[in-house]
Amino acid sequence: MSEPTSSLRIAVPEQTRRVGFRLQPGDRLVVRILIAVLLSMLCAGALVAISGHDPIAAFIALVTGAVGSPHQIGAALNRTTPYLLAGGGVAMCFRAGIINIGAEGQIAVGGMGTAAIALVWSNDLSALATAAALLGGAAAGAVWAGVATAIHLGRRVHEVLATLLLNFVALLLVQQVLAGPLGQFGAGFLQSPLLPRATWLPRIPPFNAHVGFLIAIIAAAALSFTLWRTRFGFALRVAGNSRRAASYAGFSLPLLTWSVMLLAGALAGIAGGIEVLGLHRRLIEGFSLGFGFKAVTVALLGALEPLAIVPAALFVGLLEAGSLSMQRQIGVPSALVVVIEGLTMLFVLAATVRRL
Amino acid sequence: MPELLEMRGIVRCFGALRANDGIDLDVRAGQIVGLLGENGSGKSTLMNVLFGMLPSDSGKIIFRGRELSGHRPRDAIAAGIAMIHQHFMLVDAMTVVENVMLGWPAAGRVLRTAEMADRIRQASRRFGLDLEPFAHVGNLPLGRKQRVEILKAILREADLLILDEPTSNLAPTEVADLLKILRSLRGEGKGIIFISHKLPEVLELCDDIVVLRDGRVTGRVPAAGASRARLAEMMVGRDITAPHAPLPHTPGEVRLAVRNISVPGLSGLSFEIRGGEILGVAGVDGNGQIELAETLTGLRRAESGTILLDAVDITCAPVAARVRAGMAYMPADRSSTALVRNMSVAENLMLRDSDRSPYVRGAVLARQPLTAKAQELITEYDIRASGPGVIVARLSGGNQQKIVVARELDRAPAVLVAHQAAWGLDPGATRFVLDRVIALRNAGAAVLYISSELEEVFAISDRIAVMADGCFAGLVSRAEADRGQIGLWMSGRAA
Repeated sequence: MSEPTSSLRIAVPEQTRRVGFRLQPGDRLVVRILIAVLLSMLCAGALVAISGHDPIAAFIALVTGAVGSPHQIGAALNRTTPYLLAGGGVAMCFRAGIINIGAEGQIAVGGMGTAAIALVWSNDLSALATAAALLGGAAAGAVWAGVATAIHLGRRVHEVLATLLLNFVALLLVQQVLAGPLGQFGAGFLQSPLLPRATWLPRIPPFNAHVGFLIAIIAAAALSFTLWRTRFGFALRVAGNSRRAASYAGFSLPLLTWSVMLLAGALAGIAGGIEVLGLHRRLIEGFSLGFGFKAVTVALLGALEPLAIVPAALFVGLLEAGSLSMQRQIGVPSALVVVIEGLTMLFVLAATVRRL
Repeated sequence: MPELLEMRGIVRCFGALRANDGIDLDVRAGQIVGLLGENGSGKSTLMNVLFGMLPSDSGKIIFRGRELSGHRPRDAIAAGIAMIHQHFMLVDAMTVVENVMLGWPAAGRVLRTAEMADRIRQASRRFGLDLEPFAHVGNLPLGRKQRVEILKAILREADLLILDEPTSNLAPTEVADLLKILRSLRGEGKGIIFISHKLPEVLELCDDIVVLRDGRVTGRVPAAGASRARLAEMMVGRDITAPHAPLPHTPGEVRLAVRNISVPGLSGLSFEIRGGEILGVAGVDGNGQIELAETLTGLRRAESGTILLDAVDITCAPVAARVRAGMAYMPADRSSTALVRNMSVAENLMLRDSDRSPYVRGAVLARQPLTAKAQELITEYDIRASGPGVIVARLSGGNQQKIVVARELDRAPAVLVAHQAAWGLDPGATRFVLDRVIALRNAGAAVLYISSELEEVFAISDRIAVMADGCFAGLVSRAEADRGQIGLWMSGRAA
């Protein structure tokens, strides 16, 4: 049994563990998080004002840029999808007390797996082709998470290190694959050839969002059910609260670690696959840059509650989707959104972690 | 010689429990006072009051002619009191000299490392501490680490040293060295309070011995001329009225057979318990009790030996399989092993049974039956909680332990391993736990009842074993048990 000792286990906000059967409506945790989001918006407004622009106008431009037209809503939903999927997996790991910050690499490798399957797939039946390609992505993401788990459990390397460092390896691996077997010769840019049309994700008509968002919503609901209503979820929550109690309860810690890591890897892999099939329709170098870390943000913002991660991911997705039109219309740099995300993170952590 | 410390009529209550009930303690300069007593007799509380970690409810402390009241540890240190805890307060990654300078204004704002190292060498020579200032503390054996703590006290010119169970983690040669160091400190006029369970050391080292029981002083005797048997008797007392004498037992088949099991801390232990029998295990904490309990219940893997439950070999069975085979376990560590404090009463009641009906259908938790079952157990075991959804951390210690009792006994186990099952509980809850354990025995189960409270062991056991140094120092039936003999077995070296 591997149980590396570490002080990093406290990284989960204490409040999120105080929930009984499920998040109660009107739980003060929700209020705290909303106040934290509000405060971060106020700070961002102050920054806009300091830079000489009108914060109200910037805010309006941000909102209309995100939800001003069906197409803009669709773009925002597409932005949200990978954060939601990968964030759900990260939340499950954190619930079990496993600090998995490898979503970044798992998304990248998942995209690669999906592209590889899509490129060799010759069946024209669209649903089948898409499903096979996404499954390929899930498998690739799970394998990547499995590598981290094997290093963690087998060699007693702390999971933060194992997952974090494999992110860089994953990005380089995708580059290498694009420079070789999966690459498009003569493109002048590291990318794969266009994937067969049969594998593309269908789009939802008025919004032009791809169906990936629906997959992500279903996944979030399934995760919530798993966490609160199944024995596996119970074991995860016990282990996250006390590893000794989990052993005493007869749960196998290595088995739990493997299961939740593979689950998170598969979800991140699907997130990568959806980006590839739904948005770019080819594998592009760096297509997922920063996604994995935003997944952690979203998981914590959603208090590690899979259903609460939906609004959290939407918040980040809408912000980012609106940021470009804010830059176009008002001249406030879109990078401000990154500042808002960072501030939100700080405020949310300040509001939820009880005591160090 | 003048009194260095006078404590008069110290009272400290925790709820209804009078942990210190009017205690007097005097220490003169150049005197070593041994403080003896069982777990829970009030030694630690008294020392925490002295050191300013707990306020006293009444009583007076005079140290070097000045009254200490409402003081904090910082004030106690400034006054010249040093406390050396059982668990050292050292930074392993730092050197000896760095640890000595840590938090000590005299080390200077810009650290005067070389000067401090010189002072360490001098003190080390004078008291035979044999400490190298630039050695990393993490590389030192336990005995040396303890000397670093003593060194800190010496350099800060403490007049009174409190040592809390200083020998419990030391090897015999280290103990001998420690006693030598303490004698040389006495020679320099320091006062020392030496807290221990171990009679031979106390008799060998101390000038005076103060014995506590149930928060009161039961005797103060000079070490010269005190006998072990007399001290053991003062510690344990003899006018103990057993709360209830269990029915004479009619033991059945052997239900738990342990043959020669060894893990680190446990050396080749063998015993059997029959159905309808309680084997009580007495002994000072840290003599292999936790190792024994965890090896039997599957939280630790036995390195050798066999464990048979109803004649089935479970030596290598995982925890869940042992539970299914009929092994129940009440761990001593309630806050993070036996219970998940941040989860609900209902979830804690199913903690070890989530793979069975009524809790689960397939892999999905059965909500209604789960809540109904929890409600049933709450009623049956009189758990005072406003509902099955209440977070366990909000319950009192007694009610928390009732959850563990309910969960482990509702399964109707074949074997129960109970470790400190009544520890820290008020008399009512203690009685409840003991009664339930006895009822389980009367129903034909085998019980291993491990406790450092000798009275409990006497009250409940059919046979009594005493653990010392990872094995049974003795095993007798209760009828033949002699408290003096048991006290001697507990103290390590049998007479």
